[in-house]
Amino acid sequence: MKIFISLIISLLVLHVAHAQDVVVKNKYINHTEFGGLFGRVKYSNGSSQNTVDSRTSLTLQTFNGIQLGRKLGAGITLGADWYKSALINPVAAGIRYDLSGRSNARFFVLADAGYGFTWLHQDSDGYKTKGGWMINPGIGLRIGSVNTSSFTLSLTYKRQEVSAEKPLLWNQIERDEERVYNRIAARIGISF
Amino acid sequence: MKTQLLPLIIVIFSFGLFSCNDQCKETRITRRLTPFTRSLQEIRSSVKAESKRELIHPGKIYTKGNYLFINEIKEGIHVVDNSDPSNPKFISFINIPGNGDIAVRNNILYADSYSDLVSLDIADPANAKEVGRVENVFQFGQFDGVGWSLMGLNSSTGIISIQDYTVDFVTETVTTNCEENVSPGLTWFDSGFLTSASFNSSGSAASAQPNGQAGSMARFALYDKYLYTVQQNRLHLFNISSPSQPVDFTTVNTNFSIETIFPYQNKLFLGTTTGMIIFDNSDPSAPRQMSVFQHGRACDPVVVQNDIAYVTLRTGTACQGTQNQLDLVDVSNPDVPKLIKTYQMENPHGLSIDFPTLYLCEGDKGLKVFDVTDKLAIDQHLLTHYKDIDAYDVISLGKTLMLIGKDGFYQYDVTDPRNIRQLSKIPVNKAVP
Repeated sequence: MKIFISLIISLLVLHVAHAQDVVVKNKYINHTEFGGLFGRVKYSNGSSQNTVDSRTSLTLQTFNGIQLGRKLGAGITLGADWYKSALINPVAAGIRYDLSGRSNARFFVLADAGYGFTWLHQDSDGYKTKGGWMINPGIGLRIGSVNTSSFTLSLTYKRQEVSAEKPLLWNQIERDEERVYNRIAARIGISF
Repeated sequence: MKTQLLPLIIVIFSFGLFSCNDQCKETRITRRLTPFTRSLQEIRSSVKAESKRELIHPGKIYTKGNYLFINEIKEGIHVVDNSDPSNPKFISFINIPGNGDIAVRNNILYADSYSDLVSLDIADPANAKEVGRVENVFQFGQFDGVGWSLMGLNSSTGIISIQDYTVDFVTETVTTNCEENVSPGLTWFDSGFLTSASFNSSGSAASAQPNGQAGSMARFALYDKYLYTVQQNRLHLFNISSPSQPVDFTTVNTNFSIETIFPYQNKLFLGTTTGMIIFDNSDPSAPRQMSVFQHGRACDPVVVQNDIAYVTLRTGTACQGTQNQLDLVDVSNPDVPKLIKTYQMENPHGLSIDFPTLYLCEGDKGLKVFDVTDKLAIDQHLLTHYKDIDAYDVISLGKTLMLIGKDGFYQYDVTDPRNIRQLSKIPVNKAVP
């Protein structure tokens, strides 16, 4: 984790070397969003029949960082994802990289990678849920001028790992579950 | 460039929505029971002394003098020379199919073998010999929550056999919906190391005593000239005035599912799934029910000393209990047992009292030692807590303490209860998870 962060920071520093900027370097930036996580699950639970359910969850996150160059910002993302049986708080290192475009609307690339914690999560009796790694790369649209606050729409792929111990049923001595949530996240937010 | 990106994004979005599936895999280990049948003729002819074996699945323990008898569940009895508690030596193994309980008086060892009660002469412990047998006295029983039954008793073929189950563990992995919330109100099951394990300890040791010592989980008890055995909801008495030839004497039915028996003075304390029953045993041939101390549903071993009964209740067993606690009951007036106080515990199993020290097994949470001089503040007098052992049942023999758990058999020097010293350990050689 630490290596990853220092790698990102050193890459950013190198990039910053040739940016010609109008933008003030090391300015504080924030990017706060909320939206939904959409996906499906296909399961059989041991039987020969597969059932498919669709899944929607709410997600909230806030990215706080510094502008490392004209286009690049890096910082920490904190979020909250309300999966049906897990409330995960991901804490991740994130980058936001603007692609060129019009002055009042630009695409940007975003990526977060970190760990989802279960700080605010409460388990049903017999369950013990633990968080896991999270990655969240994607693309967004920033509407607004450079240097002012802007609205953002973003579309990302979010993968969150979670593991849980479940209560034992008759004749079982162990029952654990490994979950990987693979969702498309569609969010709107503001950035300033 | 920007406008061309938009349809691309839409394509990616749709593709993503289509293929983004949560992947949830549940791995579970289930106990699988496979039935088998064994003819009683074959079972009866198998009882004999053999060379020593490893401890694999120990059950109850019984001590008599310098010898230790460790039950290997459904297999037989390990005979251990314990003259030096820091170096117990396995001497031999008595093969007794279907064995779960032991009681020893003088040189006769009484053991159950599925449906029969067998008496063995252990004057030479390395070479135990069957000297007596009462046939077909138990029709059914259970080990670790798995029941066996006697079949064919009244059949025309005259072939009598035992139907039992072998247990193995199966691991399977299935996909789940990531959000299954099964209510834990469903039956709990602890795969159960020893639901019928028993240490029977009724006080301080003295090798001159005719009877040996068992733990708090005992289902066999010796008193006067009777062997009391507990089976489901009845008390089955055997007359042992002729020690090598027990005689089926009488059966006392109760309305309770009995698990343990503890003789105390001229009474019998029976632990059942819903309470503790006190029997008046002033006439040993006819125990008479005096009173019942009811509690919630749980398995509950009982030990009694100084007119106080210490009862443990625990969850996670075949008894489907819902509480983990230690109850102190005033039994000075056995017709009216009165609860003194309830103490919350973690997962209490067997226990042993050697006033003022109480040794309490907390399953995989270890062993706790309490000073119980002040019966209303026991939880404030925890002397020690050994966390890294699995403690199922204990026998206190004054200066030494014997403990059995999933990981092995331990002996401790407890001359100073605050500073318990481990003397020896016989580890369990486990082949199953």
